[in-house]
This record gives sequence, C-alpha cells and structure tokens, in this order.
Amino acid sequence: MGELIISEGYELRHHLDAGREGLTLYTAPGAAREIALYDEAGNYRPLKTAPTLRRGWRMGLGAIGDLQEALEGFYPAMLAARLAHQNGKLRVTPLRETLNRQSGMYAITKKMTDEQANATVCAFCNSTSGCLKTILWQIAPGIPITTLPPEKSAPHGDFPLLCAEGCNLLVARAREVVKQETP
Amino acid sequence: MIAAKPHSALLLLGHGSTVNPDSSGPTFTHADEIKRRGVFAEVACAFWKEEPSFRQALTMVESPEVYIVPNFISEGYFTQKIIPRELELAGPVTRREGRTLKYCEPVGSHAQMTELLLHRAREVAPGVDPRVASLVIVGHGTSLNENSGLAVKEQVARIAQRGVYAEVLGMFMEEEPFVTDWRKLTSAANVIVVPFFVSDGLHSYQDIPVLLGIEAEPGVAASRAEVFRHNPHLTGGRSLYYSSAIGTDPFFADVILDQVARFDSQPIFTAA
Repeated sequence: MGELIISEGYELRHHLDAGREGLTLYTAPGAAREIALYDEAGNYRPLKTAPTLRRGWRMGLGAIGDLQEALEGFYPAMLAARLAHQNGKLRVTPLRETLNRQSGMYAITKKMTDEQANATVCAFCNSTSGCLKTILWQIAPGIPITTLPPEKSAPHGDFPLLCAEGCNLLVARAREVVKQETP
Repeated sequence: MIAAKPHSALLLLGHGSTVNPDSSGPTFTHADEIKRRGVFAEVACAFWKEEPSFRQALTMVESPEVYIVPNFISEGYFTQKIIPRELELAGPVTRREGRTLKYCEPVGSHAQMTELLLHRAREVAPGVDPRVASLVIVGHGTSLNENSGLAVKEQVARIAQRGVYAEVLGMFMEEEPFVTDWRKLTSAANVIVVPFFVSDGLHSYQDIPVLLGIEAEPGVAASRAEVFRHNPHLTGGRSLYYSSAIGTDPFFADVILDQVARFDSQPIFTAA
C-alpha cells in the first residue's frame, strides 16, 4: 500500500526497508501519524500520499484494528476510498466541478483553463515527485488528463491509493498558477 | 456528562495547515481523548487543509447518525459557508442515504470559553495584577464574513463586564482593530495577549508574534522549538505576555461533547 509493506502478524514498514535489521520498533498504532508527519529531512508532509515517507522504523501491531488505525495514520481515508470503490459507491468529482465551487481566496481558480489544469496536474500529482494516488477524476467530463501516463488513472495492487477528487493542495497550486499566468 | 451513543459517530472538523505541523494536533488529541472515553461508536477527524479532507470526512464513518462538531472558534466563514458546502449539509439536520447528519455549533461558541481565556491570561502572567493590566484577545477576523470577529467581541464584552482587568480589548489579524496596533490601542504597562485560536499553529504561534513585534520573522513551529516562549517580552517600556492558544487546553474534549449534548437538547433540530 503506497510506500508501505504489510507483512504477516500485522507488521508494517517502508518497502525500501524490507529485510532490514535494526529498525526502530513501534507498537502503538497512533505512532503512524507521527512517523508520517515529517520526511527524512525533517520537512512537514501536508500530503500524506507524497512519495516521501521516511524510513528506519517498523510497526508491530497486535490486531487487525490496530493495523487499520495505523494505515489511517499513514494514508488517511484511503481504506474507506478503497472499500467504496470496490462497492461501486466512490463518488468521483471532476476537477472543473471542484474549482467551480471554490470561494474566497480560491475563487480565482474558476478561471483556470483546461490546458493550465493539465499542466498543473502533471507537475503536482505525478507519482515520482508529487503524489502516489491513482487519479480517478477527469479535468471535466469528457476531458481526460493527457499529461500523465495512463497507469496514473488505473488502480492497481491490493490496496490502491485512490483520488476521487482534487485535494485542497492542488486547488491552492491552481490558485498560484492562475494568479501568475492570468494577464 | 453525555450518555453513550453506541450507534453514532463523531466527526471533528478542523482547519489544518499545509505549512504548520501543529495545526491539526489539538483536534487529533481531543478526538483521541473522546475515543478513549468510549462515548461514540466511531470518532474521526477531517480538515480543510489536510488529509483526511472535508470531502472525505463522511466516507470515514458508517454509523446511521453522525454528529459533526467544528473545532473552530468563530461562527463565521468556515462554519457557515465552507463546511456546509463541502459536506453538502442542508442545515442543522441533513438526512441522506439512510444517515442523519447533525451539525453542531463550533467549540468557540461554548459558554466555557470565557473561563478558558481568563485561565490562560492568569497562567501566562501569574505575578501580574490584572487591575493594572491590559488584556487583549486576538482573533483571525476576515472580510469574507462579518460574523468572523463576533466570537472575540462577545468574549471581550463578557470579560470586561467582570471588571477584573484595567481594560479588555479585541484585536484581529485581518480586520480592524489590527493586532499590529496594540501599542497605540492599549494603555497599561503590562499587556497580556491571549490568542483565541484552536491550536498553536501558523497564525497563533508564528504569525501573531510577528504582528505584535516580539519576533522579527515567523520562527519554527511550536513542536520544533526548544522552549515554547519566553515571557514577558520587554518592548518600548511595556511588558508583553503572550500565551498559547486556548484550543490546546485538554478541557476542549469536554467542550466538544457538550456541543453534542447541546445539539440534542434543542428539540427544533431533533424533531423528525
């Protein structure tokens, strides 16, 4: 799931720490939120699905409930999104709809063009440096994202991280882009 | 004390921050405490600027009844516009897809806020005689909603009525009277400033100290500072005491539960 590997006995660790010894052990599921708070360099991680989860720890959890709580700390709301998607109940919102309902300082994002939106999504949501989620939404109905590889829109694996709607961080970036590029 | 609600969920909504790691902390802490008490079947948090987002909030709980409590100070822009819009609430009660969503008042409108503000003021300046001190309550304030500053103004009126402090003033970051003008607006030698905020986040820990002139630029987040803050700050012949935000007080867990109980006690909202 994301950068995590889930092993038998409800054990979690960073996938790049597979097989590594000497990791710091945590047994309380609440530690997940603390681990996910900062990246390796100590920078705050407002986007939990950014590919910047730090390494050097493992979690040994006692029960499935603790595992769920820890996964919620690492990737908030992602278990619920997966379940809703499996049941055909995940509501997906096109970016245009998200931008059109903004108000206050974000109201300016209504002016974003499809071209600007595509470029912004590519720069901000790409899996290499932006976000690991699979994007289920389009720019607008019938206007797909064309700047990211097709696999970015195709859920894969047992525990896909699913994006049903552009997040507030993307909206904030959209605001910056529109402010900079609108004459 | 609130009765157990084994078929209900509690959803706590906070502002959160994309730049400050401490903004959402108190909301999670209060949620953890309420979870520990076992009042609700489920307890979850969601945020405007962090994950889980307001839009994801209702996917995280399954109970047929959901109490939604904004961990916000003001009955303003966020509680009246953003939250109802993002969660698609129709009013105090929304019935949708077999669920009943009950939208409670924000924590900042709780009657105990006056005591909490006074407690913070005494705590930060223990040796100062309030009769010769100015007390300043600072809020965010915004031109986006005329009610945003109301919570501060109401508390200022209540505290002033008690006649404990030489003067009590409300000031704001983004509306008049501005906190930057505190030197002109206050008259006592000792000035005690209490931020009426839910966390020691970006505004209360990093921005307001700059506006007060006690920091040259926004420092590191509170959780990254070695010492929370030294008091008093001596400036222009005055002693300024700056407290932490009231929302970090553990009593806020009780305030949140009270807002739920208060909702239930209003028959107009609960009638089917």
